[in-house]
Amino acid sequence: MQAIKKNSRADKGDLDLRWIHQELFNQIPFNAAVIDRDFNIIEANQAFIRYFGRWKGKKCYEAYKKSNRPCAHCNAMEVFENGRSSVTDELGIDRRGRPAHYVVHIAPLRKKSSGKVDYVLEMSTDVTETKHWQKEYQILFDRVPCYISVIDRDYRITRANESFRENFGDFDHRYCYEVYKKRDKKCARCPAALTFRDGKTHKSEQVGLSRTGERTHYIVTTTPLSRGESKIEHVIEICTDITDLKKIEESMIEAERLAAVGETVAGLAHSIKNILMGLEGGMYIVSLGMKKDDRTRIAEGWEMLERNFKKTTQLVKDFLNFAKGQLPDLDLTDPNEIVAEIIELYKRNVAAKGIRLTAELDRSVKPAFLDRKGIHTCLTNLVSNAIDACNMSDAGDKFVKIKVGDENGTLIFEVIDNGCGIDCEIKKKIFTTFFTTKGGEGTGLGLLTTRKIINEHGGKIMVHSQKGQGARFRIELPRKRLELLYKKGREGK
Amino acid sequence: MAEKTNQRRKIVLVVDDEADIRKYLATALQEAGFKVLEAADGDEALIKVKENKPDLISLDLIMPRKSGVKFHRELLKNKDWAKIPIIIVTGHARDDLGRADLKELTMSGPGLYLEKPVNPKSYIVAVKKLLGEKVNESEETTLEKIKIQNEIKDLMEKADLNSLEKIKSLLKKNNDSKT
Repeated sequence: MQAIKKNSRADKGDLDLRWIHQELFNQIPFNAAVIDRDFNIIEANQAFIRYFGRWKGKKCYEAYKKSNRPCAHCNAMEVFENGRSSVTDELGIDRRGRPAHYVVHIAPLRKKSSGKVDYVLEMSTDVTETKHWQKEYQILFDRVPCYISVIDRDYRITRANESFRENFGDFDHRYCYEVYKKRDKKCARCPAALTFRDGKTHKSEQVGLSRTGERTHYIVTTTPLSRGESKIEHVIEICTDITDLKKIEESMIEAERLAAVGETVAGLAHSIKNILMGLEGGMYIVSLGMKKDDRTRIAEGWEMLERNFKKTTQLVKDFLNFAKGQLPDLDLTDPNEIVAEIIELYKRNVAAKGIRLTAELDRSVKPAFLDRKGIHTCLTNLVSNAIDACNMSDAGDKFVKIKVGDENGTLIFEVIDNGCGIDCEIKKKIFTTFFTTKGGEGTGLGLLTTRKIINEHGGKIMVHSQKGQGARFRIELPRKRLELLYKKGREGK
Repeated sequence: MAEKTNQRRKIVLVVDDEADIRKYLATALQEAGFKVLEAADGDEALIKVKENKPDLISLDLIMPRKSGVKFHRELLKNKDWAKIPIIIVTGHARDDLGRADLKELTMSGPGLYLEKPVNPKSYIVAVKKLLGEKVNESEETTLEKIKIQNEIKDLMEKADLNSLEKIKSLLKKNNDSKT
C-alpha cells in the first residue's frame, strides 16, 4: 500500500496495475529486493523484512550480510554487466544475527527505453536447514567405519568417503578393482555387476590388497544409487575390513583345539586311576585267596586283573587314536553318504536288539569339506551311545535316528534316540574328560574324540536331553569355516 | 570276624558304577566283618537304603543315572537317612568334574573322602573310624596319614608360598606322629 501512495500521481488504470504488481511482489514466496547499481535497496517485500530486517536507506550488503562494504565477489554486479540472470549460493546474516544459508536468484530489470540493466531483482530463499542436514549427512558419509564409494557402469569411482580416501588415497576416477585389489580388470565374482544387472543389494566376501600390499578381507555390500529406476547408472559399494575378525576366528579355532587337548591330559589321569583301582582290587582278592587257600577267590581276583589289564590296552589304543592327526584331512564329501554308511554298519546290530535305526537324509544338502573318516568316527560314537542308551531304557518302541540338514550355511548332523536320556549333572561333563557312565565298559573317550574332531572342523557339538526322555546330539559345522580350513590345509601342503 | 558275633554286624552300602571296584571294596569290608550291600548308581542305592538302612555308605561321585551328589541330596531330605555317615571314594577329587561335587558333600555331610586308587587297609580304617569303632594305634596313624595326604594334595593345587609353608608344617606334624 505504501507503493500506491508513493505513486499517487499515476492515473487510475495505471494505479490498479501497480497495485497488482505490488501485491505480486509481496506474495511471492521469496525474500525479494530490488537493487540499483550503487547497491541501494530501493524496494523489498514483506518476506525480506521478516528475514533480513529493515532495509530502507540500506545498501544490499548491509541488509544481507550486516557488512559495511560491498562483497569481494558480487554476483549482482555480474548481472548488471552481462544482463543474464543467475543463481548463487550465499552465506549471510539474518535479522536476529544468526548465520543464514540462502540461495539467490538474480534477475536483470530494464526500463523499456534503454537496453542496459537499471536494477536487479534478487529473490532469495533460506536453505540453512537443508545445508545443516547436508553437512550432517556428509559427516556421516565420511566418518562411517566403512569404505564407501560410488562407481559408474565402467567401475570408475565417482565419489568416495573420507575413510576411503584416508586409506586408499585420492580415487581420482580410478577403477574400483584397481583400488581394492590392484587388478587391471574387473573381478570374477563382482557383487556390483550383479547390482547393475538386477538393481538389488548384493553382499559378498572379498580378498583384496591394502595400500601396503597386505592381504585384506572385506565384506562388500553393493546397492543401487537410485530407487526403482529401470537403468542403474551408479552403484554404491560399501566395504568393511574384516581382516582382524578373520584373524580372531582363525585363532579361536586353534584355541578350541588346544583346549580339547589340555582337557584330555587331565582326563587321562582319571582313567588311569580307575584302572589302578581295579588292579589294586584284583591283587587284594588274589592275595586274600592265596592266604586262605580259596581257589574261587584267586580265580575272581585273577579275572579282575585280566579285565583291568585289557582296559589298559584299550585305553592306550583309544588314546593314540585320539591323539593322532592335528588337522583334519578335508575333502569334498556328501554328508548323506556318510550317514548311509553308518546305517549299513549298524543295521544288524540294532535289529537283534529291537531298536529301529533310521536316517533322515536331505538330498538338497550339498557336499561339504569334511574329514570323511573323522565324521564317520563321530557318528559311529554317537550312534553306539544312542544304542547303549536304548538298551538301558525300558521303553517299548525304541529308535535311533540320524538326521542331515543345512541351516543358514551350517551343515547339521543330528543323532536322536528315545533311550534312557542323560542326567543334567552328567550332561555338563560328557564332553570334558575321560568321563564314562558305562561302568567298566567304556574308556570315556568316545564323546571326547567326537568333540575333538568336530572342533578341528571348526564346528560345535551340543546335546539336548533329559533323564528318561532320550537324547539329541547335534553337530553344527559352519560351511565358511570348513572352506577356510580347507584352504589353510591346502596352503600347508 | 569271629569276635563280632555277639553284636549286630554293621551294614555298609557300596555305591560304584564299576563292578570290579564294588567287588573289591565289598570283599575288603566282608573281610573286616561288615555286611555289604551293593548298588551301581544313585537310583539303585536309594532303593537299597529304603529296603535296609545301612550304617555307612561308601559312595562314588560320577555315576550314570543318579550321581553321588544327587543321591546324597535325596538322603538329606529324610531326617533318618541324613545321619548316615558317608565315605567318598572317587577318582575325580582333583579335577573339574568332581571338585564341586566333592566340596558340596564334604561341606554338607560328615563325610571323608578317599582318592582312587585306595588300598584296602586305609579304606577299612576310614570306615571304622567313621562308624566310631575302635581302631588300634597303627590304624589311627594310617587314617591320620590319609587326612594329611589329602590336605597336602589340596594345598599343592594352589602351590603358592602360603600353601607350601602349610605343607611343610603338615609334613613336620606327620614325622612327629611317626616317632
